[in-house]
Amino acid sequence: MAVYRRSARPRFVLLLLVLTAVTLLTLDERTGGLGVVDTVRDTARDALAPVRDATDSAFRPVADFFQGIIHYGRLEDANNRLREQLAERDAELAMVADAQRERQELLDQQKLEFAGDIPTVAARVVLASPSNLDLTVEINRGRDSGVSPGMPVVTGAGLVGRVVDVSRTRATVLLVSNPTSSVGVRLAASGEVGVASGRGARSPLQVDNVDPATKVAPDEPVVTSGLQQSIYPPGIPVGRIRTARIPPEAVQQEVTVDPIVDLRRLTFVKVLQFSSKP
Amino acid sequence: MGLRLRVLFLMLIACVAHQTLFAAVRWGDVRPHLLLLMAVSAAIVGGADRGAVIGFLCGLLTDLFLQTPFGLSALAFSLVAFGVGSVQSSVIRSAWWIPLLTALVASATAIVLYALLGAIVGQSQFVRPVLLLVALAVGAVNAALAPFMVKAMSWAMTDQAESSFAR
Repeated sequence: MAVYRRSARPRFVLLLLVLTAVTLLTLDERTGGLGVVDTVRDTARDALAPVRDATDSAFRPVADFFQGIIHYGRLEDANNRLREQLAERDAELAMVADAQRERQELLDQQKLEFAGDIPTVAARVVLASPSNLDLTVEINRGRDSGVSPGMPVVTGAGLVGRVVDVSRTRATVLLVSNPTSSVGVRLAASGEVGVASGRGARSPLQVDNVDPATKVAPDEPVVTSGLQQSIYPPGIPVGRIRTARIPPEAVQQEVTVDPIVDLRRLTFVKVLQFSSKP
Repeated sequence: MGLRLRVLFLMLIACVAHQTLFAAVRWGDVRPHLLLLMAVSAAIVGGADRGAVIGFLCGLLTDLFLQTPFGLSALAFSLVAFGVGSVQSSVIRSAWWIPLLTALVASATAIVLYALLGAIVGQSQFVRPVLLLVALAVGAVNAALAPFMVKAMSWAMTDQAESSFAR
């Protein structure tokens, strides 16, 4: 009598694959980002860089076409909104000069020396995060251009994030909105320091350690604190206060901050060649 | 071209397209995951055994360009592809919507599984309220591309000698 037996091979193959994956995970964890795995990663990234550059220019019109289809309704709305804004802008022009003077005075008062004489490396954002869960971008400068892990990344407006991984020609930047990102910050008006942590792509940053007695005003600028051993120099604009509230019997305020840089539309950035080591 | 060579060729194309063309095509903050879709399609076409192996390789390729622990995507993709292959073998009638539904559910499951496995190895930042939404959105965009990928994988994974004998 023939007896049907389900083959054990697929399960054996799966077991083998799971064991291999667990081994790789352990190997990566144990070497702490310095081992063979990272060499392979860097090599792959550098090897694919020219292909990416070539295909990027070829595919960009196609990608723009699809983006246009996906966001057609939004583009139409944006177009109408821009027309209205343009009309309003004419009226506002007269007020701008005065506002700029006030802003400059405020910045001078707060001593917000943004970047100062720190050497910078200009870079182009070549890739948004390859993952749907990780908030990083890839820039077209790497070790060869003097970029190292830990260096702050900024735009003209303010802080973008920090370099977390570098290959010969590319670097990965962890955005301030990433949930693993923490930045030491100072509230510009009160001088109170805290820690701003990312909470995801569309969420404001959360600032911890703000004393309940501190007066926090909406729209108040928030800059990097640059306290000792901080990986960021002091005075880089991070964002503006969105909300501040004191829950009953809390030992700290619940403060949220809107990033000053539009992190979803990055094109050019600057890497500050800054080291916190004395 | 040999069977393995065709699969590797497709994998390379999917990897480059994933890193270039599909990096720019975003729906909200979500983009299609071609390598994950390839793993799922391989399981639909080739069953649990082949699906798991191709899922593992696609996962390794994905991990090469991520900051998360190496092997995390490989583990998640191979497990999901194995599951898809196992379920697929018990499907007795074929319909056009089955690969679409499979791609949707499997892709969403893979994203959630990836986040949960990530949390186990210390990447707890992935497990947040928006995760389910991201998973469903990735599933939806992958489902839209599934017919093309399943066709491509059928081409890559069908033995030429076998198909000419069948004719």
